Amino acid sequence: MTSSEILSYLTFIYFLVFVLYLLMMVMGRPGIGKTAAFMLLGSFALHTAALLLRWQESYAMGIGRAPLSNLYESLIFFAWAVCLLYIIVEWRTRNRSAGAFVMPLVFLAMAYASFSPSISSQIQPLIPALKSNWLITHVVTCFLGYAAFGLSFGFSLMYLFKRNDPTEKKGDSFTFIPNKDMLDELNYQMVVIGFLMLTLGIITGSVWAHSAWGSYWSWDPKETWSLITWLIYAAVIHSRMVRGWRGKKIAILCLVGFACVLFTYFGVNYLAGLHSYAN
Amino acid sequence: MEKTVKGEKPNPLWGFLSSVRLTIVLLILLALLSVAGTLIPQKEGAIEFIQGLNPNIIKILEFIGLFDLYHAGWFRLLIGMLAINLVICSIDRFPSAWKRFAASPSVDRIHQFEDLPDNLMFSVNASVRQSCERISTLLNRRYRRVRFKENNDRFFFLADKGRFSHFGVYILHLSILVILLGSLVGSFFGFEGFVRIPEGEKVDSIMLRNGTASISPGFEIRCDDFTVEFYENGAPREFRSTLTFLIEGKELEKKDILVNHPVVFGGITFYQSTYERVAGKLIRLKITTSEGGKIDESLTLEIGQKIDLPGKEGTFEVLEVRHMGSVPAALISVETGKSDPTRFWIFEGFETIRSRLPEQMLRSPRFDPKAFKPYIFVLEEVQMRYATGLQANRDPGVPLVWSGFFLITAGFILTFFSSHRHIRVLVEKGKNKVHVKITGSASRNRFALERELQRLVQDIKSLFPA
Repeated sequence: MTSSEILSYLTFIYFLVFVLYLLMMVMGRPGIGKTAAFMLLGSFALHTAALLLRWQESYAMGIGRAPLSNLYESLIFFAWAVCLLYIIVEWRTRNRSAGAFVMPLVFLAMAYASFSPSISSQIQPLIPALKSNWLITHVVTCFLGYAAFGLSFGFSLMYLFKRNDPTEKKGDSFTFIPNKDMLDELNYQMVVIGFLMLTLGIITGSVWAHSAWGSYWSWDPKETWSLITWLIYAAVIHSRMVRGWRGKKIAILCLVGFACVLFTYFGVNYLAGLHSYAN
Repeated sequence: MEKTVKGEKPNPLWGFLSSVRLTIVLLILLALLSVAGTLIPQKEGAIEFIQGLNPNIIKILEFIGLFDLYHAGWFRLLIGMLAINLVICSIDRFPSAWKRFAASPSVDRIHQFEDLPDNLMFSVNASVRQSCERISTLLNRRYRRVRFKENNDRFFFLADKGRFSHFGVYILHLSILVILLGSLVGSFFGFEGFVRIPEGEKVDSIMLRNGTASISPGFEIRCDDFTVEFYENGAPREFRSTLTFLIEGKELEKKDILVNHPVVFGGITFYQSTYERVAGKLIRLKITTSEGGKIDESLTLEIGQKIDLPGKEGTFEVLEVRHMGSVPAALISVETGKSDPTRFWIFEGFETIRSRLPEQMLRSPRFDPKAFKPYIFVLEEVQMRYATGLQANRDPGVPLVWSGFFLITAGFILTFFSSHRHIRVLVEKGKNKVHVKITGSASRNRFALERELQRLVQDIKSLFPA
């Protein structure tokens, strides 16, 4: 079986994981959540294996490069990074309620990569501009950042769904969601991780652009949109750290931030620029 | 935020410039303008966009820099405002950070040990002296500074680490200034240029990107060879230019340059950028007569090489070779010494491209292969070669930008992933045991502090086996 076949099957498993997390919330049964968490661990292991297999396949084809260089591979890696971060958060917080909010990102990314007719899953050799040691660091840092912002998006949604009333009646679908202070704190932690990774992503991209195109910054649409995203999250961090904003305002700003992430990722392809090979 | 030095009247300008509200407004404003810049076509892209607009409106739009937004004066002004805001904010807050950095709180604060949870208090089977010695060794191994004080038979330890984290945020903000400074240095003292060198030729000047001026770098660049390789699917695999740098005709350095592998010579960095196919120096043509019949053999000649006409009426030479509408063409000049030279262009594959050329052009003697009777000149082949296109830049701001990148990473880690932690340990004699109490404080991340205190409790307990 080829890696892309495994990855397309994984889409369905991730969907199932999402449904289980959702059932846990709706039916209020922690046991279902446990099943979901174990299934997630299993599919993440398979996902990791498929990424390594794809790497190995490229060597077998005589191309030999990390699976991080086109839209298909970036979507697969994005889904992988979201899973990784989510598993860490689930383990640290001992809380499974975010699953229902985060897993849609994972299976949508996987489904888009595997089933969109406009995305080729073939392993293509690298064009000269991409042949660089910066490729791996640049893509990994950027997508870990995107993944952290994805989780922040999930926590922001949860925050906005969660009721203020501390005496929630039993059977409410959102009882599993941690209290608002904790959501706010988790959201903030994700923003900080995302912001650091995005900063490193922009830095590595900049150093790379300097050796490939002779300029560390050229206002290419993708560069500009990553800067826009950076500015928005910088505003989030400043308003929280210094002005003491909490809760709803931050959650809404984070939704805006994630919209910028999505535009940086997909929307920019409709604007011409240097990053067109990511199309 | 809007605080001022004691005793002075609040200065509204200082208050405005040191407010984080201004920072947030500027960040969002810059974000919105950058969005506009990606939606409105910029520079070359704008030319198509503005066609059909009223010329006066175009003038206004150009005046406000709408089509080169990122270089418009007011966009830079906003960045400048952000920089000033950043400096003023830092000056405003630095003294308090310094105070926290240099603070030396008293060691024997007994009230810090009141109301401790049970898991931070325990007893050990050892003498007070033994206990203090062992705890002191452990703390000294783990913390940068450990202070000790005895007060009324109570023994206090105060250990701390991570006090440099108070400066993280200043390093982070300094790094932004360093990067902005680097970009300023680059735009004032650097240039972006371009050279186009056909294989086998050399150039001694660099065309500047903005404007028509060119500069001479003080050396010559020769392109010895250019190769392009393709994958089976037709995508390019590699572009490679072999360059030689010369000063006063002397070869100083020979280097291969590839995409992602620029070459530096004389303070100028050369990047593989583009390539094109251009006409070479050798031309193959043949001459027939208009009566038909007799056909001369093909002959190969160089540009500028004078050749006798078949009937010795005079000489001819090729003055220039170029592509006209992607078809190779050669400018022939026939001289007889009697009148002005006859000059006309001949094309490769004239019969096939005839249909593509405009009627008037065909009737013009400048494009008539029979312009010098009785001969017909037929261009058979123009030797092709590559010309490499290199980006040639000098940017003295780059080291500053790179150090800004380093600082931003260091500042980030100090600000968000380290904290200034104080750990306090109290040792006191009980009835027949020695009591140990542990507490602490942190500038951020209380959860991490809790974990650290728990670990310390375990580690100190293990110093005293039962």
